[in-house]
Amino acid sequence: MNSKRSIQMLLAEDNASDADLILASLAKVGLAEVIHVVHDGVETLDFLFCRGEYADRLQEPSIRVIVLDVKLPKVDGFEVLRELKADARTRSIPVVMLTSSNIERDVARGYQLGVNSYLQKPIDFERFRETVRHLGLYWMTMNEPPPVWSRIGAGQ
Amino acid sequence: MVREPPKVLTSSGGETKGQGVALPVMVYPAQDSPLLDALMDGESVHQLLVDSRGDYAVFMLDSNGIVASWNKGAEQIKGYSRDEIVGRHFSVFYPAEDRTRGKPERELVIAARDGRFEDEGKRVRKDGSEFWANVVLSAVRDRTDALVGFVKVTRDLTEERAARERALTNAQALEAVNAELEAFTYSVSHDLRAPIRQIEGFSKILEEHLGKSLDPQVEHYLRRIQDGSQQMGRLVDDLLHLAQLGRQHAKPRLTSLDSLIDEVLTNLRAEIMERDVKCRVGALPTVVCDPGLMKVVFTNLVSNAVKYTRRREKAVIEIGHVVKDGEPVIYVRDNGVGFDMKYADKLFGVFQRLHRAEEFEGAGVGLATVSRIIRKHNGTIWAEAAPDQGATFFFTLGTAAPDETTHTG
Repeated sequence: MNSKRSIQMLLAEDNASDADLILASLAKVGLAEVIHVVHDGVETLDFLFCRGEYADRLQEPSIRVIVLDVKLPKVDGFEVLRELKADARTRSIPVVMLTSSNIERDVARGYQLGVNSYLQKPIDFERFRETVRHLGLYWMTMNEPPPVWSRIGAGQ
Repeated sequence: MVREPPKVLTSSGGETKGQGVALPVMVYPAQDSPLLDALMDGESVHQLLVDSRGDYAVFMLDSNGIVASWNKGAEQIKGYSRDEIVGRHFSVFYPAEDRTRGKPERELVIAARDGRFEDEGKRVRKDGSEFWANVVLSAVRDRTDALVGFVKVTRDLTEERAARERALTNAQALEAVNAELEAFTYSVSHDLRAPIRQIEGFSKILEEHLGKSLDPQVEHYLRRIQDGSQQMGRLVDDLLHLAQLGRQHAKPRLTSLDSLIDEVLTNLRAEIMERDVKCRVGALPTVVCDPGLMKVVFTNLVSNAVKYTRRREKAVIEIGHVVKDGEPVIYVRDNGVGFDMKYADKLFGVFQRLHRAEEFEGAGVGLATVSRIIRKHNGTIWAEAAPDQGATFFFTLGTAAPDETTHTG
């Protein structure tokens, strides 16, 4: 996505319908344009580390939150999370898991790997929409992101 | 000289593990007699050995481990006749690797030191075949406490061990099937969630996009889609809950049902107040149960009572308990529409409903959940009702710790 506005949310969601519903929910609060959607774990990592099809992407510090599904194809959400938290360039970007799984084991695993928030996708659409809206508003407008220098300078 | 016969005492060396054999310990007069003499002459000892049950090899060893006596059981189990074995060292009963490691001798040392040695392991028959044996070796001492020899009781456990292993394999297989079934239910209901939300979501978005210009007929159809998807959503949620219940272990602790029902009624206040339902709560016992699961039980039973008294002008729900055979029987009674007892066996099945959906909504998962929880507690649940005469649900909570019953759900 090469829009004028910089990307503020990276949404890793392989289900196109769910991705649409999330975008539609955030469009209502004017946040849809600053979201970039990736569709599997490999693409998520490629985007964040500017590899593969994203090799030309500038490592922009504008991303305020990564929204991660657990069941991503190729590389699953936990593995993505593990790699993000292991790398100084991406470690401090807040990660929210948004998933249909509320198995205790998955929740525990997410937190062990350093997830910043874990949300279950509500089955009821109204509640789903509310949850997504809150998520977007909170992480993209209310939460104070880590200072830019702490990301760019990290790892030196 | 006349030898005093040996006295036979019951061993103080403890019980044999689950074998039910009280080992005899022989106390011999001290004045003379090497062990062999005592064995050969001591009529009652001999009798004791010979009369022992045939499935036990009972024989004696002198203090060096040389076989000194032999019974019928020993002949049957080990294959040696008395003449063949008496006078030989007992290490012939052991597999070669045990012999090289000095296991037989070590056992004698332990038995001499502790008075008794018990072992379970491989032993060898005369023909070289192996069997699985339980072995108890007991030291025999005279009045001066000098070691004179050992009594050895060997039992062939080959059959028993095979049966044990078969039982274990069956139990494991059953557990695996159960776990698989639960995982399947879980993933099915889990994977159904997303498409349901999508149907509902897109129909809502469509409705919003069409806005005020919406044709009433189109609006009606969209509503139908939404109703249907919402209903399916609840169904899947209920199923998911039921599947999770199967995996969950009950965590029983002492629980006051009095305060538990207060909590449940507080949570259900909206439902109860809405129709001015009268709730009469009697004294409830303090029992051992999983409080979280028990809340689910009462919530379901009371919600049902509220639901099925809908047509009553004066709806009354009674919650209380009676003591039957020393055990508390808890009940939830309502004066609602009741049901015909001939359908009572369908009451607790998943997706079983006794009323049409237009009359009373519901998926038929509530009572299945309740029944599953009660079973987890080793309790029973049953109902008494008549059409239009209300219904009463009774349940007991088993006295046994419910912890180990959770796998079968």
